[in-house]
Amino acid sequence: MKNIGTIFKKEFYRVISDKRLIFTAILLPGLAIYLMYSFMGDALGGELEDVMNHEMIVYVENMPSEFENFVLAAETNVIFEEYQVSEHDQLKEMILNGDVDMIIRFPENFVTDIENQEIPDVLTYYNPGEKYSSFAYDSFAGLLNAYKQSKAFALFGDAYSIFTLDSENAEHIIVNEDKATGQGFAMLLPMLIIMFLFSGAMSIGPDSIAGEKERGTIATLLITPVKRSEIAIGKVLSLSVISLFSATSSFIGIVLSLPKLMQSDGMSIDIYGASDFIMLFTVLLATVLVIVGIISVISAYAKTIKEASMLILPIYFGTIVLGMSTMFGGEAAGSFWVYMTPLYSSINIIISILTFEVDAINYFATIASSLVYVSILIFILNKLFQSEKIMFSK
Amino acid sequence: MQTLEVLHLKKTFKLSKKQQKLEKTKTKEKVAVNDLSFVAYPGEIFGLLGPNGAGKTTCLRTISTLIKPDEGDVMVGGSSVVKDSFDVRGKIGFLTSELKLEDHFTPNYLFTYFGRLHGLEEEIIETRKTNLFKKFGIEDFKEVKVGDLSTGMKQKTSIAISLVHDPEFIIFDEPTNGLDVLTARSVTDYLLELRDNGKTVILSTHILSVVEKICDRAGIIINGKMKICDTIENIKKTNPSNDLEEIFFDLIKQEDQGGAF
Ligand SMILES: Nc1ncnc2c1ncn2[C@@H]1O[C@H](COP(=O)(O)OP(=O)(O)OP(=O)(O)O)[C@@H](O)[C@H]1O
Ligand SMILES: [Mg+2]
Repeated sequence: MKNIGTIFKKEFYRVISDKRLIFTAILLPGLAIYLMYSFMGDALGGELEDVMNHEMIVYVENMPSEFENFVLAAETNVIFEEYQVSEHDQLKEMILNGDVDMIIRFPENFVTDIENQEIPDVLTYYNPGEKYSSFAYDSFAGLLNAYKQSKAFALFGDAYSIFTLDSENAEHIIVNEDKATGQGFAMLLPMLIIMFLFSGAMSIGPDSIAGEKERGTIATLLITPVKRSEIAIGKVLSLSVISLFSATSSFIGIVLSLPKLMQSDGMSIDIYGASDFIMLFTVLLATVLVIVGIISVISAYAKTIKEASMLILPIYFGTIVLGMSTMFGGEAAGSFWVYMTPLYSSINIIISILTFEVDAINYFATIASSLVYVSILIFILNKLFQSEKIMFSK
Repeated sequence: MQTLEVLHLKKTFKLSKKQQKLEKTKTKEKVAVNDLSFVAYPGEIFGLLGPNGAGKTTCLRTISTLIKPDEGDVMVGGSSVVKDSFDVRGKIGFLTSELKLEDHFTPNYLFTYFGRLHGLEEEIIETRKTNLFKKFGIEDFKEVKVGDLSTGMKQKTSIAISLVHDPEFIIFDEPTNGLDVLTARSVTDYLLELRDNGKTVILSTHILSVVEKICDRAGIIINGKMKICDTIENIKKTNPSNDLEEIFFDLIKQEDQGGAF
């Protein structure tokens, strides 16, 4: 036991006494995520602003002045141009090129037709492949619809409306705000968390084990009267703690950049209570142990740091795919067996914690099965440390 | 019983394609140590002499439990390297070029680290550190990272660390390699001191003068086999020239002819 502590301390000190490692393994992930997400958020926000500020160019034919007033009242940012039938093909081409955003053609006797109940047809043309044109169509479809309603009401009064929708229903939207926010987190976080834990462990694991083999320092450790299992446990524990630091840094990065990414201040983690955080933390701990276990076994098997990194990559991508599959669902799996599967159990239990739907049995199954997997991995690691073929392969 | 008995040791390596090319051979296996036996006693320095590739390092690695013998055994103070490798590791101090120290740490840190792994009390570690660092002139460099030390200073640090637990058995594989005359002298002097304190010392080298100067007994290994094993005096008597170098050459010549048949 004392040896585990000694090895743990040394491995830990190795990282925290190295400025380069502190930066790349701990600070960089959080910083990179914060900058990336903030940038993405700003870009998304900027896009929206750009469309709003754009002056729409709309060609109109026979536009009733009533409608024009309607548009002006809605403070729509638009320039109207006169439509000529002779220019039709030319204008279509311009819409295709994004030079014109939309064409609206009212029939010649639009207003009188309505009064005679002849149901005139309004023609609109736009290009869904152009963001300004798309936005113009959305705006004018809404305006035309509203215009239609107001005309109908003017003509027929209440007789026209067969029914109304939620005109006086204050309770229209029924939502548990916390749960909705939780759902948002559940779609976003599990995959990211697993990715961060993995990349944290990947940045130090291969160096700590394959690197020691490569540099010949592991032999010095192997001739001491220390059990191989103690070496294995000491290394796995210290790598896990550092990976947790790294994941925490990434996590802080996400939390800080969320308001920018979501373009709202609504996404805040303060919807979760202490017990949620404790559960989340214990799951993370169990998960990181499994991840570090996997990485350590691969690193002990590999001859060089490079080979270890190469061998880890497929597993890393596999877990990302697993995480992605739940990202779209945003819902935890129900089957008990899911919670006995390494890593997949973690992703699902994290979702259920974030959506306030944790099942105690599944939670304990996740923790317990993860601990069993770590023990198996440590056992394998121990065997690898004992094998002269693996340790001294050239 | 603080003797070290090597009993019919055999170690074969499987050769990879790359190694086959390097060794210019088509055989898949290399017998590195072949039925090797000898005994080293407390209070003496036993020299393991042999040309490059003779199997000296392989023999010493087996004694230190880094690799397991295919056949035979080594009894280190009554513990078998096959069955009680854990006990053996506590009793020996092993030095070979394959055992590296991590560049990032200082001699001071590593000495304490390995002392703890040997289960020593902090006080004892500190006392031994002061002694050994002074003896090998590491004192002024103890806070310099191993990566920044000179080759000689690294070697001396390795020697000091291999002795952290005051082992009864000292197994040094070419300890003076890469050291200047002065430093090499301080190492051999220290080995004599250890011998006088009743330790069992095994030293491998291909430097004949070292053997002549400090070894009490020696074994000459060629091609994994023990050719002769006796006191230096007796070995010398086997040849009229009374010269170790002549004997060494003769043995190698004999082996080469033997291999031709
Ligand atoms: N891991 C290994 N795999 C394959 N062959 C090996 C291995 N280790 C040693 N050998 C071979 O075994 C033989 C003995 O090697 P060893 O290192 O014991 O020799 P040595 O006497 O220490 O030589 P040197 O004086 O050059 O250090 C050599 O032919 C070497 O190539
Ligand atoms: Mg050698």
